[in-house]
Amino acid sequence: MSELMMIIVLVGALFGMLAMGMWVGFALTLTGALGMFMFTSAPLGPILATTFWGHSHSWALAALPLFILMGEILLRSRLSEDMFSGLTPWLGKVPGKLLHVNILGCAIFAAVSGSSAATAATIGKMSVPELQKRGYPDRLILGTLAGSATLGLLIPPSIILIVYGVATEQSIARLFIAGILPGAMLVAMFAAFIAITALLKPEIFPKEELNFSIREKLSASKRLLPVIALIAGVIGSIYAGIASPTDAAAVGVVLSLVLAWSSGSLTWKMFREAVMNATITSCMIAFILAGAAFLTVSMGFTGIPRNLASWIDTFNLGPWALLAALTVFFIVLGCFLDGISVVVLTTAIIMPMIESVGIDPLWFGIYLVIVVEMSQITPPVGFNLFVIQGLTGQNIFKIAMAALPFFMLLLLAVVLITLFPQIVTALPGLMRG
Amino acid sequence: MRKALDLIYLAAGAMSALCILTICGLVTMQVIFNLITKLLGTQFAYTIPSYADFAGFLLAAASFLALAYTLKHEGHIRVTLFRDFLKGTLGRVVEIITLALAAVAAVYMTYAMIGHLHESISYGDVSTGIIPVPLWLPQSTLVIGLALFTLALVDDLVCTILGVSKSGHLDEIEEEHHNV
Amino acid sequence: EDWDMPTPYPDKTFHTVNIQQFADEVREATNGELNIKLHTAGSLIKHGEIKNSVRNQIVPAGEFFLSLLANEDPAFGIDSLPLVAVSYQDAARLWEAQEPVITELLAKQRLKPLFSVPWPPQGLYTKKEIKTVDDLNGLKFRSYNANLEKFATMVGAAPTQVEAPDIPQAFATGQVEAMITSPSTGANSKAWDFLSHYTPINAWVPKNIVVVNMAAFNALDEETQAAVLEAAAAAEERGWNMSRREAEEKTQELADNGITIVEPSQELKDGLAKVGVELLEDWRANSTPAADKIIDAYYN
Ligand code: NA
Ligand code: NA
Repeated sequence: MSELMMIIVLVGALFGMLAMGMWVGFALTLTGALGMFMFTSAPLGPILATTFWGHSHSWALAALPLFILMGEILLRSRLSEDMFSGLTPWLGKVPGKLLHVNILGCAIFAAVSGSSAATAATIGKMSVPELQKRGYPDRLILGTLAGSATLGLLIPPSIILIVYGVATEQSIARLFIAGILPGAMLVAMFAAFIAITALLKPEIFPKEELNFSIREKLSASKRLLPVIALIAGVIGSIYAGIASPTDAAAVGVVLSLVLAWSSGSLTWKMFREAVMNATITSCMIAFILAGAAFLTVSMGFTGIPRNLASWIDTFNLGPWALLAALTVFFIVLGCFLDGISVVVLTTAIIMPMIESVGIDPLWFGIYLVIVVEMSQITPPVGFNLFVIQGLTGQNIFKIAMAALPFFMLLLLAVVLITLFPQIVTALPGLMRG
Repeated sequence: MRKALDLIYLAAGAMSALCILTICGLVTMQVIFNLITKLLGTQFAYTIPSYADFAGFLLAAASFLALAYTLKHEGHIRVTLFRDFLKGTLGRVVEIITLALAAVAAVYMTYAMIGHLHESISYGDVSTGIIPVPLWLPQSTLVIGLALFTLALVDDLVCTILGVSKSGHLDEIEEEHHNV
Repeated sequence: EDWDMPTPYPDKTFHTVNIQQFADEVREATNGELNIKLHTAGSLIKHGEIKNSVRNQIVPAGEFFLSLLANEDPAFGIDSLPLVAVSYQDAARLWEAQEPVITELLAKQRLKPLFSVPWPPQGLYTKKEIKTVDDLNGLKFRSYNANLEKFATMVGAAPTQVEAPDIPQAFATGQVEAMITSPSTGANSKAWDFLSHYTPINAWVPKNIVVVNMAAFNALDEETQAAVLEAAAAAEERGWNMSRREAEEKTQELADNGITIVEPSQELKDGLAKVGVELLEDWRANSTPAADKIIDAYYN
């Protein structure tokens, strides 16, 4: 059977199952099973079991439930309220007002978390109810959250940059540093988008009275101290050399418990709810990741992604055309596979192409992360969409529509780093050697 | 019956939560040890051996043991957009097909994982870290989790066919057993 | 016939290059009858699962780091015991002693070794010059297995667990101050970004091994089997030479990027040799008959 037929059958099966309301983890697993069954003779059961086991006990992933638990505790403490009250006087005059909290909150949280799903879950838990209560438009709340949470992948630490660094023998420290400026650029672009929307359509924003004296501003800012203490504690533990990025997640849980206790909001009931909700959310993500891992392995046995990439290779494109083609390729692939799978499956084939046309592999790592960020907010398989659906109960297509402007901004960022590669290479260039 | 099943899901969910808290405790201990070393010098260096391995195994246990509990709390993600258009009998038929397909898949996953566990036991597989952990131990949490997941899906399937509530007393039971 | 073969390391790693050539030679020798498709960098099966995946015939063949199996029997981990084999000559003699023993052990898991290729000898990476064993005293030392932990304790260093991806950050923040690894790993992770000195103490010479499932191998016709074995023998010889060349090139790369290469002083060598004797004694206390057989053959 031709490659194209294989792809049509599998994509059709995946779409069909998702449309009938099949749970995503099952839909991915069953599509993988169908692919193996139809197009290979490899033993299905042992591969399924080996993949589920092999991908479920990873140390790097252990940070995920902890960061989610941290978010659940913060949600139930007064901290989220304080963060809004503290930021409000400062953002009152900025067009777009408190929507910037979503963006800044995600950017700050991205500096302690390696994953965009954890970023979406934690910030979303805090910000969505507050913003809805204040009457901000749903579309913008969901869009800014889905879009900004992808920063978790780019602003270091980043699980996906670690995977790329290992697969392509690039220095992970350099990749991390290379992610900083593009991350800051995206924050600025997202904030500018919100500000411009607010200037063009002031009527969709709530008419909050937001005039504050300096004195009021300063006294309100005291309420930001716990948030700042939390961030300083988590990031500080990494930079003081007492915690790895995964360890820092546990520091975050402990510090948020301390904060909740000191503000008097820590009760047994609250703690139990927080833990059980974190259990549900991390189980949900783990099940989808297991399904995605199995689909990835199944695709590896069928050889489809490899052949697709080799097919692109046959066109002998120059660097610009190659990048354009790869961008389309990754966006399509990113609709159905999670980011880490995309990186793992394709670097083996694509890196030689990249190097043969003279593209810097360090730069390409950041490019890849931004493209993968886009895949987090494209349906039907987009992890930020799933997390936000879990938070709000909205269906993923509505969330994806809300996130569309941010998808376009990410695409613009890809164009910008292509035109001005210094955005990526300047900081790592300052390092020794 | 209903109550007994819900209690089983809850117990597994609580185990899973305990695993997450244990990861947190384990890692926090190690960070405190690192802090002590930092403050008092390297003659006070303590490490929890293989703590990354243990965190991984606990994560696997947490992820799989909670599958049934998460299903019952509608925590697993599904796309309901098109389903919302299908009202009445057609909707119920599609739901029954979906549940049946998922249940069959879960049975196969459980069966495959039992095979994996059996192989692991018969060869005496151990982990590769500083402390050799017999792999059947963490792997059996996957089998138990998947078996309970199968049970919960069959439970939902039967309830949907009979047209009775899927998880009548879950919240009540949790209130009663809030000391778990 | 098509064989899917998972390997743990990226395409550019010399082990992978060598295995790719092995696959090409098998394909040519069998006129395409046996087509081995590599899945590199753990893209199909994660490193930790490759051995078991070959065992239960998920894939017919695979590569892994041999001493990963040290917890199954110390015989597998002997090439990662510090200061037993400290040169390529030693390593070759050790492999000669080890091969028949582990062939027997792997047969119990229906695995047949095809060839084994060493990594470059492991050297010491630090942020200051190490002149004697005493200079290691008090340093935070990366230890990822029981042998290294004992080594660290014996030289008065503080054993620290750092996962591989966290290494640069751990050095940058002082969470770790010394590690032993190959010049390849040092150069590939751009060690010059976070440390300054490299001392090639050749502490041990660990190996990767390529194994095939016996049932899959026996299912091949005799001619194909012979072709596989011949290509394997060639790959082993070629791999050892590639490893030697890699050691030189990567050490040069470290030097070119500003790392100070310190030839170990006689004092350091003598001190390490003493630690090695202690480590071996310690290790023999928990060894198995299979492992003893290797040691006896090696030191005879
Ligand atoms: Na991050
Ligand atoms: Na997507």
